[in-house]
Amino acid sequence: MANQHSAAEEKKHHKHEGPKKHIIAFIFSILLTVIAFAMVAAGEINTTFIYFMLVLMAILQVFVQMGFWMHMKDRGHVFPIVGILSGVVIVFTIVIMAEYWAWW
Amino acid sequence: MSGHTHVDGHLPHEPEKATLEGRNKVLGFWLFLGGETVLFGTLFSAFLALRHQVGDGNPTPMELFDLKIVALATFILLTSSLTSVFAIQSMHTNKVKPMIWWLIITVLFGLAFLGLEIYEFYHYVHEGHKFSTSAFSTSFYTLVGFHGAHVFFGVLWISILIAQIFKKGLNVVTAPKVYVAGMYWHFIDVVWVFIFTVVYLMGKVG
Repeated sequence: MANQHSAAEEKKHHKHEGPKKHIIAFIFSILLTVIAFAMVAAGEINTTFIYFMLVLMAILQVFVQMGFWMHMKDRGHVFPIVGILSGVVIVFTIVIMAEYWAWW
Repeated sequence: MSGHTHVDGHLPHEPEKATLEGRNKVLGFWLFLGGETVLFGTLFSAFLALRHQVGDGNPTPMELFDLKIVALATFILLTSSLTSVFAIQSMHTNKVKPMIWWLIITVLFGLAFLGLEIYEFYHYVHEGHKFSTSAFSTSFYTLVGFHGAHVFFGVLWISILIAQIFKKGLNVVTAPKVYVAGMYWHFIDVVWVFIFTVVYLMGKVG
């Protein structure tokens, strides 16, 4: 398999490496976390707004973690994306069902 | 397998994907993570449905949760995700020693997280928040405890991997194992993102 990699491609791989983008991703995820905690710690803000923002921060965080750190944004990750998305669809169904089934 | 190493004895640049077995391992692990997503999803749905059922006289989430400890635990886990990325990067540049060190640091962060969680649960029990206190407490301990158990398993797993790398070195057989363990660690981190958001922060908001 190694022979299939051309020299140019290997050079490209090398270029993709380097800790810089991971450190940027890390700073982003810390920033999102700090915003989420600070909003709750500050209090006195509209609850619905905080809920909305918290969920938004969490979703952005997942994009950072899965996209950069689990390499999902790299090519050849169609199967993982389909797999995780199907899991997410099932999860949303279960969560919505549980909420309504329990307190409808 | 030896046919997959380069002529000069170096590993290919992405050793975890150099063999069909390695690629299948990564794909299979994604399927496992899809299953884990559903598993945690069911625990989250139970928690979301039951989190207001505190019962009379029992501590409410607002009284109970201490954001400082949770914030510290979050930063520990986020940082450990970064160190595991560094381990994979060292693996890609064929630097075995730095890779092992980054893995050791990741394990230490995992242990620190577990220590905080044990302290937190111990504190809660003293506040009268036991496993069978209320529907809220049961669903809380099941969800957060399950995540903690995953962290514990990850700590064991990566420790054993470090021992195996010491013994067998880094090659196209051991590299996919390290890569997959790194994916597992990130996944645990992603689950924690939802736990601190849904359980702690939303619990504090009410």
